[in-house]
Amino acid sequence: MASCPLSLIAPGTKAIVTMVNAGEGLRRRLYDLGLVPEANVTVVTADRGSIIVSVAGCRYALSRGMAMKILVAPEMVAV
Amino acid sequence: MKKAITVALTGNPNVGKTTLFNTLTGSRQHVGNWPGVTVEKKEGTCEHAGRTIEVTDLPGTYSLTAYSADEVVARNFIIEDRPDVVVQVVDASNLERNLYLTMQLAELGRPVIIALNMVDVAEGRGDTIDERRLAELLAMPVIRTVGTSGKGLEDLLDAVVAIAAKGEKHTHTIGYGDNAEALISDLVGILDDDPDLAPRYPLRWLAVRLIEGDADIRRVVSGSSVGDAVFARLADIDFDEYEATLADKRYEAIGAILPQACTICVRKMTGSDMIDRVVTNKYLGIPIFLALMWGAFQLTFAVAEPFMEGIEHIFGWLGEGVAASVGTEWLASLLGDGVIGGVGGVLVFVPNIFILFLILSILEGSGYLARGAFIMDRLMYAIGLPGKSFIPMLMGFGCNVPAIMSTRTIEDERDRLITILVNPFISCGARLPVYILFAGVFFGRDAGNVIFGLYVLGILVAILSAKLFRSTVLPGESSPFIMEMPPYRIPTLKNALLNMWEKGSTYLKKAGGIILIGSLIVWFLASFPAGVEYGSEESFAGMIGKTVEPLVAPLGLDWKIAVALIFGFVAKEIVVSSLGVLYGAEEGSAALSDALLADPALSTAGALAVMVFVLLYMPCVATLAIIRKETGSWRWATFSVIYGLVVAWVLAFVTFHLAGFFLGGA
Repeated sequence: MASCPLSLIAPGTKAIVTMVNAGEGLRRRLYDLGLVPEANVTVVTADRGSIIVSVAGCRYALSRGMAMKILVAPEMVAV
Repeated sequence: MKKAITVALTGNPNVGKTTLFNTLTGSRQHVGNWPGVTVEKKEGTCEHAGRTIEVTDLPGTYSLTAYSADEVVARNFIIEDRPDVVVQVVDASNLERNLYLTMQLAELGRPVIIALNMVDVAEGRGDTIDERRLAELLAMPVIRTVGTSGKGLEDLLDAVVAIAAKGEKHTHTIGYGDNAEALISDLVGILDDDPDLAPRYPLRWLAVRLIEGDADIRRVVSGSSVGDAVFARLADIDFDEYEATLADKRYEAIGAILPQACTICVRKMTGSDMIDRVVTNKYLGIPIFLALMWGAFQLTFAVAEPFMEGIEHIFGWLGEGVAASVGTEWLASLLGDGVIGGVGGVLVFVPNIFILFLILSILEGSGYLARGAFIMDRLMYAIGLPGKSFIPMLMGFGCNVPAIMSTRTIEDERDRLITILVNPFISCGARLPVYILFAGVFFGRDAGNVIFGLYVLGILVAILSAKLFRSTVLPGESSPFIMEMPPYRIPTLKNALLNMWEKGSTYLKKAGGIILIGSLIVWFLASFPAGVEYGSEESFAGMIGKTVEPLVAPLGLDWKIAVALIFGFVAKEIVVSSLGVLYGAEEGSAALSDALLADPALSTAGALAVMVFVLLYMPCVATLAIIRKETGSWRWATFSVIYGLVVAWVLAFVTFHLAGFFLGGA
């Protein structure tokens, strides 16, 4: 299953984090929030500059730039 | 009398921690600042079972990794101040994420009690939580609480007293797997050789932080006698990999605990998700947001109006009372012109500020405000600021002081600085009386459009300044943001009121104190040297005005306006009252209007220049003080004064000459 940036998957899609490609401080922050490799994420909305994802039972808004740094494997590719 | 029990209250943001703190300590609270950082420190006391319990409300954090100032404050307090008990408030409807902090707290060695909050929300959703099993698995007491009603607080305090009496360290922590554990035990062995470290830090925690590459902790260890040995052991370690592994292991442990203590605890699409789909929708998001904000401002002014009139009446009555009853002329002038004129002019805006805060508190409590910041993110990003900067900009229309205080939620220092520095250009309520006076006199039916134009000009200057600062003095990308979208909730009135009072009373105290002092200085300058007519050309104020007159002459203004502008530094609405004094106008602004219109020194173009200048020139004293406080130095406060003056002068100059060209009169 190919990985792609979290920013590119469609709203409503479930995915599994494969890699967090960020600098030290930011990566630690993302890990703390549950955006760790193997974690299940769901994209709630993605129709503006930033996206809202749901992970570990919480919702976070991520800027698109940050979402680019999170690689995920979508469970099913939405058209 | 036994020694007081110290309790640190901790937890994720939006779990009801502040509500619990308020219910526990009631009015016996003290709000201050943590030393060296602009993070609020709240302390309070309560009595239970004959013991005094001192509660410190730590900032809400997701973890203790020292990513933000809040997290540093929270973990330093627990390590350095060694509270007898740490109480973590946990959102039962969100156990997975909340327990991550619990895993880290457990490593700090202090006894931890879990206050399981919002169980009603979780169980309403169909979860059932077995808190006894959870307590066993975590090896810490778990008490059900309902912060809003105070249910469970007695049990919580019982547990606090019982645990404090035992005085034991907490030792139950999770394992990180063979590789990491081998490394941790090596490091603990080395760290143990330094006699200074062990009494100050839990060694296992130090070792864990070292493996995760924590820069703060590396500094601590490098200053100790075992620094070299520690770094030798860490020499060929891939910190990134360990960091991911450790975070993974924490979630793994939580994943193992949860199914044993909770039936469902896995979320499906909830009501919050549905609401989010609508209110953050590409087409509906901004209209909904604007409609809510427009409503908030309308409501603010509509509700505040009678209160404002009431306050004006009270001060009018006080002024008359003073004039009638105080025989000594200078004292009557000091009280009437100085104290009542100055402070009264500012207190009139208190109802506005309190009501705006109340509405914003309600929006914040409901979870909507976070969505507002999210919606505006793209727009703010274009300016070079994160979405979170939007809320302070919005609040700036009320008053810049609380607006600047609210920038504390912005993590990145540069983003925060820029947001603070451009905030004074957002036209606050205090500038409105000046516009109403001048636009009313010189533009008649077009006054509304002129005032609207001024607001737009302020916003444009703020945007362009942000871009300018971003590309010059504070370079860098706007930091990518992560913001929690808290679940929607019905806010409680009690909390909204407390929140309003907390922010509003700070405004009262700070602004009130400074404005009183400022007003007295202005009165002194206008009254002396002895014998001169109050506020005349011969008074100190007049002399100052004459001195700076050459500076404002190119803007089409004379010494009287110059003095008013100087006085306006104390609070911008004082510009109006100063002009009233200087033009010798009787009570009521109709007389002042006539005097302004009749003054040959003041043209229509000049009036426009005054308004532009008042909009943009330096922040008022209260704002300046808050900039100084929030940025931690006079450097940026001074910068803000100079930058504001230059921008105001240049734009007022351009306005005067352009208007003169089109309207005549320059």
